[in-house]
Amino acid sequence: MGATAPSGVAWYVYGVVDAAAEPPRGVEALSEGTLTALVSAVALDEFGEEPVRAHLEDETWLQEKVLAHEAVLEAALATGPVVPFRFLTVYRDEDELRSFLAARSDELLAVLDRVRGKIEVGVKAFADTAVLERSVAVAELDAEIAEAPPGRAYLLQRQRDEAARAEAARVVAEIARDSHARLLAAADDGTTNAVQPRELTGRPEQMVLNGAYLVPAGDDRLDRELAALAEHYAPFGIGFERTGPWPPYNFVPRDLGAGDVD
Amino acid sequence: MSTDVPLEQRVTLIELVDRVLNKGVVLSGDITLSVAGVDLVYVGLRVLLASVSTLEQQSLERAAQ
Repeated sequence: MGATAPSGVAWYVYGVVDAAAEPPRGVEALSEGTLTALVSAVALDEFGEEPVRAHLEDETWLQEKVLAHEAVLEAALATGPVVPFRFLTVYRDEDELRSFLAARSDELLAVLDRVRGKIEVGVKAFADTAVLERSVAVAELDAEIAEAPPGRAYLLQRQRDEAARAEAARVVAEIARDSHARLLAAADDGTTNAVQPRELTGRPEQMVLNGAYLVPAGDDRLDRELAALAEHYAPFGIGFERTGPWPPYNFVPRDLGAGDVD
Repeated sequence: MSTDVPLEQRVTLIELVDRVLNKGVVLSGDITLSVAGVDLVYVGLRVLLASVSTLEQQSLERAAQ
């Protein structure tokens, strides 16, 4: 029951910040106790479940809304800690959103404190497989190829290429593991996400690491480790790409509020 | 953020997929209206990402060979 938003209107929730925080421009602050939800009133004929499903197929709409979500959270991050909510979290009823904030205030505050003063940094590693396959050691075959007659050399060359591919795959996996371990050691926390295929990245290189790290703002340990890794692995055709600072998307619990029934 | 570059020039939709669409608190228990509980990648970016899981599976199989 309770006060429903004006007919056809609902509340889009970007995330939660300290109640004392100044909300970013263009966004409403809905405060409950020591927490503030950053919200916008949205029309249900755009953000209702049915319309949204249709819009999700529309890349222009999607891009616009995803960027708006990110822009609000980045603006919030510039002034204090923020708990990012999932894209398209929409409440029809203000009272229900308030009860959620009240019921979950301890958990939300704990998460806010956990990410206070910290930023998320993304690190992707890309492998130039051609360079890598040339750099890996298949020395015995190379020596044999050099001395073999042409016909046999051709067969050996094919064997060599295959061996190089297998070895390159092994080396890539090892480099990805080592890079993540070293970056994690230079951060407060870290995680890896599924690598994106070339069809998504649109790049000729293969993504071999898709990591996210939580680091204190202004701390350069991760960046120094990243520079060292880049230098160390450049001869293997591995390049690193850093993104951020991001709101701590990867370091908030996914299922807050799921599960127990109030 | 000390950059003056507009957000849409700094990041692409693909760059945001890992975060905005796939991470963040999900309110499946309390939410009145949401599609957030659904795996958005497989709903929304169907055209773009349809074959991601297949591709990942294939590359895993290739790596295992």
